[in-house]
Formats: sequence, C-alpha cells, structure tokens
Amino acid sequence: MQDYNDILAEVLIDENTLQNRVRELAEEINRDYAGEEILLICILRGALPFLVDLMRHVRVPNAIDCMAVSSYGEGARESTGNVRMTLDLKTNIEGRHVILVEDIVDSGRTIAHVLEMLHTRNPKSLKVCALLDKESRREIQVPIDYRGFSIANKFVFGYGLDLDEYYRNLRFVGVVDLERYQGSN
Amino acid sequence: MQEYLEFIDEILYDQAAIEKRVRELGEQISKDYAGQDLLVVCLLRGGITFSADLTRFISISHELDCMSLSSYGVGHYASSGNVRVNLDLMTNIEGRHVLLVEDIVDSGRTLAHVLMMLKTRDPQSVKVCVLLDKKMRREVPVYADYVGFDVPDKYIFGYGIDIDEHFRHLPFIATADLSKYKKPAD
Repeated sequence: MQDYNDILAEVLIDENTLQNRVRELAEEINRDYAGEEILLICILRGALPFLVDLMRHVRVPNAIDCMAVSSYGEGARESTGNVRMTLDLKTNIEGRHVILVEDIVDSGRTIAHVLEMLHTRNPKSLKVCALLDKESRREIQVPIDYRGFSIANKFVFGYGLDLDEYYRNLRFVGVVDLERYQGSN
Repeated sequence: MQEYLEFIDEILYDQAAIEKRVRELGEQISKDYAGQDLLVVCLLRGGITFSADLTRFISISHELDCMSLSSYGVGHYASSGNVRVNLDLMTNIEGRHVLLVEDIVDSGRTLAHVLMMLKTRDPQSVKVCVLLDKKMRREVPVYADYVGFDVPDKYIFGYGIDIDEHFRHLPFIATADLSKYKKPAD
C-alpha cells in the first residue's frame, strides 16, 4: 500500500482547522440542546473519528450508538438509493433527540433514506451533523443542521474517509492525486 | 440524568496520560507491523474512542473495519460466553494480519470466542490490543498482546466505556462509586 504522501495532491483541511471546527459544532449542539438529552448516531465507518472528536466536546447528557448501512447493488448507491441496514441501532429512538453524524454528504441519497427510515420510529427530533458537504453533487434535498465544511467536488480522503479502505486514520482531509494513485491491487 | 461528578470515585487516567499511552501503543504497533499490511478491527461500541485515537498514531498504512458483538442471554456474558455477531467484518481476513482493538478485557470470555471465530477464517495473524486490562477478573486464559493500562477490579467509565449507555464521551477514565450512582429511569 502506498504511503499517503505519494498520492496527496493537497491538504484540503488541516488538523487544526478540523479540530477547531469540530469543537465549534459541539458548542452549537451544547447550546441548542441545553437541558435536553441527545443520542448521537455514528454512521460507520467513515464518521468514526469525527464522532469521537465531536463527542469529547459535547457537554449535554448523551448516549452514543452506531449504524452501518450499505446500498443494494454494489456500486449502485446513486441509482437505486435504497439502503440496507447492516447494523441497526441498539437504542429505541422513540421520543429521543437524535443527531445523525456523517462524514460526508454527497448525492444525499443514502442519508435521505436513513432519515426517512428513522422518522418512522417517531424520534422527538432528528437532525444531521455532517463534517463535509459536497453540495455540487446533491441530487436530493437533505437538511444539514450542523455542517463542518462545504467542499468542492474533489476526491477527498483522510479523517475517516477512505481510499479503497485505507487512510481513514489521517488527521487531515486531503485531495487524492489520482494520477499517482495505484489502487489497492 | 445524573452528573458524573455526583458518583465519580477517582480519575484513573486523565486525557494527557491516555494520549501518551495511546501514542506509545501506536508507535509500538507501527514498528511491529512495519512493511506488513494491517487490518485494524474496532469492537463496537466501547472500542470506538480508543481505535479512532490509536489508529491516528499508527503510521503504517492500514485498513479499519468494525465488528459488533453481543452475548446470548442478556446479562449472562460471564456464564455462557457464546457470542452473537451483530455486525460482521466487511473485510475477508484470510491471509491478513489482524489487530483486534477492544476497550476493556475482564473475564476474557467474549474475546476468547471472537479469537476462535476469527481464526477459523485463516488470517495470517491475529493480535489483540486492549486499552484496559482487568487481569484479576480473568476466567479463561486469554491475553492481550498490547495493553494500555492494568486496572483494578472497579466499575470504570469514560473514554468510550459507558454506564447504562452514558458517559462514553468523557475524555478521561474514571472509577464510579456505585453507592452514589442512580440508574436512569426509562
């Protein structure tokens, strides 16, 4: 596997900028939910570092749960949009304040389906917190209540986002130099 | 919801102590697997904080996958030991170097079962990295290759570890005085 330095075109968001913004988002959540209890849902696997850093700054009472989804039809995420829940929540969200934590919103189809599905369980409220928003790729309207950064339509990796499953551990969000990237095989 | 200050006994490890130790583990792992292709497996949900921080200190390129387990029979973790997989790995581990990342090991039964199960898939190697090891509670002979801290047999919370689903977000590891803790009403 190539070292990330070999395929990094540019650092899009550096560690400091990321951490500061994550803290700001948590402060917003603390203000908005003062006196309430929230459930933070981590959408696996991309949102993991974001959720972990975010929750460290959350001061309102909270619980954490995880969800894993995949789309029907490999690589067809955008065409069908139907979502298969591979790991459902342990928590019953009825009557709870829920915040979905996502690494990136792109076409919006996956998150839109997840929201629809979760709404059927009658949460008290349901909001979306996304670190990255690729608005130019949006195909379906999705309300993003807490947005880390709006980014251009570039191939990004790091801070939870993978490139063929690698590089999720990087502390920054980078842009891939596709000409130098050799792929996983 | 009760404030943790009402029932905290003591802080065992603060944020700086945890970060220092997690960094050491990450560096050790990077050294041990230098030149190898590594798959890190995060055991949900307790292991998420530890694995997110640990992998940031692993300098070699690696993959991250997640697994979610529960035991058959609620509250009978210690007695049955059989493990139900709620979320299996996306990755085929055949021929791979696998590192299981867990928040805490006590009886060792769950861990022993997961290890047995994963070995049926013929990985090249499987090792275990735990943040906290409650060795005196061990009931089966299973040990971790990488241990963050040895901890006493006390009720522990924070840094991914919950009490009734709460307090996972706290950046430190603390012990609870259960006589002062009030279970939340559902």
